[in-house]
Amino acid sequence: MRIQERTREWTFTIEAVHALSDLLDEPDWMRDLRVRAWRFFEEIPWPTGKEETWRRTPLRGFHLDAYRPFSPERLREIPTEGELATVYQDHLAELASSGELIMDEGQAIYHHLAEEWQARGVIFTDMHTAVREYPDLVQQYFGQLVETDANKFAALHYAFWRGGTFLYVPRNVEVTLPFQTLARLSLPHSAGFYHTLVITEENAAVTLLEDFFGGQEGMHDGVVELFPGPNSRLRYAHVQDWDMTLWNFGTQRIRSSRDSEVIHLISSWGSRLSKVWITLDLVEPGARGQLLGVYFTTDHQHIDHHTMQNHIAPACASDLLYKGALKDESRSVYQGYIKVWPGAQKTDAYQANRNLMLDGRARADSIPGLEIEADDVRCTHGATAGPIPEEYLFYMESRGLDRTQAERLIVAGFFEEVLTRVENEDVQRKLEATIADRLGVPLEDLGY
Amino acid sequence: MASTLEIRDLHAGVEGKEILKGVNLTLHQGEIHALMGPNGSGKSTLAYVIMGHPQYEVYSGDILLDGESILDMSPDERARAGIFLAFQYPVAIPGVTVAHFLRQAVSAVRGYTAQKNTNGPVGSNLIPLREFRQELNEKMRMLGIDPSFARRYLNDGFSGGEKKRLEILQLAMLRPKFAILDETDSGLDIDAVRAVAEGVKQLVGPDLGVLIITHYQRILNYIEPHYVHVFYDGRIVKSGGPELAHELEAQGYEWIRREFGEPVAHA
Repeated sequence: MRIQERTREWTFTIEAVHALSDLLDEPDWMRDLRVRAWRFFEEIPWPTGKEETWRRTPLRGFHLDAYRPFSPERLREIPTEGELATVYQDHLAELASSGELIMDEGQAIYHHLAEEWQARGVIFTDMHTAVREYPDLVQQYFGQLVETDANKFAALHYAFWRGGTFLYVPRNVEVTLPFQTLARLSLPHSAGFYHTLVITEENAAVTLLEDFFGGQEGMHDGVVELFPGPNSRLRYAHVQDWDMTLWNFGTQRIRSSRDSEVIHLISSWGSRLSKVWITLDLVEPGARGQLLGVYFTTDHQHIDHHTMQNHIAPACASDLLYKGALKDESRSVYQGYIKVWPGAQKTDAYQANRNLMLDGRARADSIPGLEIEADDVRCTHGATAGPIPEEYLFYMESRGLDRTQAERLIVAGFFEEVLTRVENEDVQRKLEATIADRLGVPLEDLGY
Repeated sequence: MASTLEIRDLHAGVEGKEILKGVNLTLHQGEIHALMGPNGSGKSTLAYVIMGHPQYEVYSGDILLDGESILDMSPDERARAGIFLAFQYPVAIPGVTVAHFLRQAVSAVRGYTAQKNTNGPVGSNLIPLREFRQELNEKMRMLGIDPSFARRYLNDGFSGGEKKRLEILQLAMLRPKFAILDETDSGLDIDAVRAVAEGVKQLVGPDLGVLIITHYQRILNYIEPHYVHVFYDGRIVKSGGPELAHELEAQGYEWIRREFGEPVAHA
């Protein structure tokens, strides 16, 4: 009986929710949250493809039953500390950081926080440790921004979330070097549910870069919640580098306080299909936010970003730039909405989606939308899709570069405009390295 | 031995419309030729056809580099074989810095390939960074180009003069056997023309053959050509020494029109 219990293959059920909470020895409030989320999950129907957000991203071929929500047994198979070096060294070496967190299959396997920041009250740890050691703080924020019923996948996430980054920066603390998280799924057919929570208090500043990879034949359903406090600066870069066979779902949301400045970047390189919602709420005057995105799709990949710039308070600014390059029969969907609420005067809101079509068979859909209920606002949006101009290629070829080299340089340059907006050279270098990796060439060959 | 670039009875055009109607011209390394003619006579077409622009078709005739036809070569192969074109309208490519682009170009043209040692491949396919930087700095100094140029995006937000100087910088770095300067002086004020011409002058020598395509005499005030050719209606109608350029300057192109008639479209 006991053996059976230990090796039991959990499926997505309420029993599994409890079993997971038991396994993690969680406080009641977290168990309740999971249970509530599970009910929402059961209530919310599966997308049929008729919903506006799902119309261009069919879930054909995705079967939740094919995955297991967690498997205590399999956790033992993840690499040991000794194997760590080889797997993660490259990822870590690219960035000098204030702290690193490495997770596999939702479990923290390496953690480091520079003493300097620890002494000044910075918390940087995995989510489970945070729940255990800082329950009040976590409870105050966890699940408060991305609601448990935000969508079917958010509900599923909250019922089964496991692993993730917790980063808290107290008042007046400006962390110089970025923090870095590596979140991996090393076993095939895994279901990952990483949860990221970042809080910057008044006048604080921090940068977090998260790198998600692995997940062969798996799925990932993540949530990111960012809380930039008053007059704080928060930079967040999300590198989605999942295996090309993984199904990726994500809900990310930012709540910007008075005079805060946030830069959110997502780079979508991996997964077979990716559907990510990103919402920026500007809730107090003077908040500024940039939403940046880069994607490069190949084969039959399908990458969908659905964004929302939500201007609730007056005198806020949001600036969105998403750029993608598409090859083969891949497809991208960009759906972006700017909403200016009544009373949100002096709003500045921009949105641009640019697509470089490297192949006639690829397809990029761009659906911008505006809803403006204030009169003193500046809003623009625009979308383009087109091939690399022949004149660019001829110019480069006339200097001795072959067509492939020329294309690569042009694509890298096309992304560069987005990367420089991160305004952090270390993060920029790291992102450039992921681009080089995605294009399958040494970094140097990209001309960075 | 000095290389030669020979254009032999070249007929070429776009979509069946003949623009070059039998061009004959031979350049040797070390020579400076000026090709002068009115707008619309096909001068730039000649430049593009030599470089291999895919938009143009060659109907008959040949272009030979040291006796070998280059017509089947792609533009990058021609560049690697030692042909360079300074564009009349260089394109701006955002996000690609001058330094990085040039490092790629120099490496491609000089044939760098990854070396292997016991630790695996070394240095990828690029010229070593230090060596490249040193050379780039030296050339920029020589051409009076501000070092900040290297970090800017290729022609992006460049003034007309800056674009042309960047073309000359590329010429200096790529060290071709033959350079075609397509209207390098057009659209520039007299100071900019002087700056560009001074740059070119420092690069000419026994290892470089130059074809200066121009509309005006003024760039030739700084770079004395050995030969001057008058280009009209798709072919060279007259060749001579430097004095021919002065003649054209003094008399304009009217007499050419009178002597050789209005262009006639070939059926």
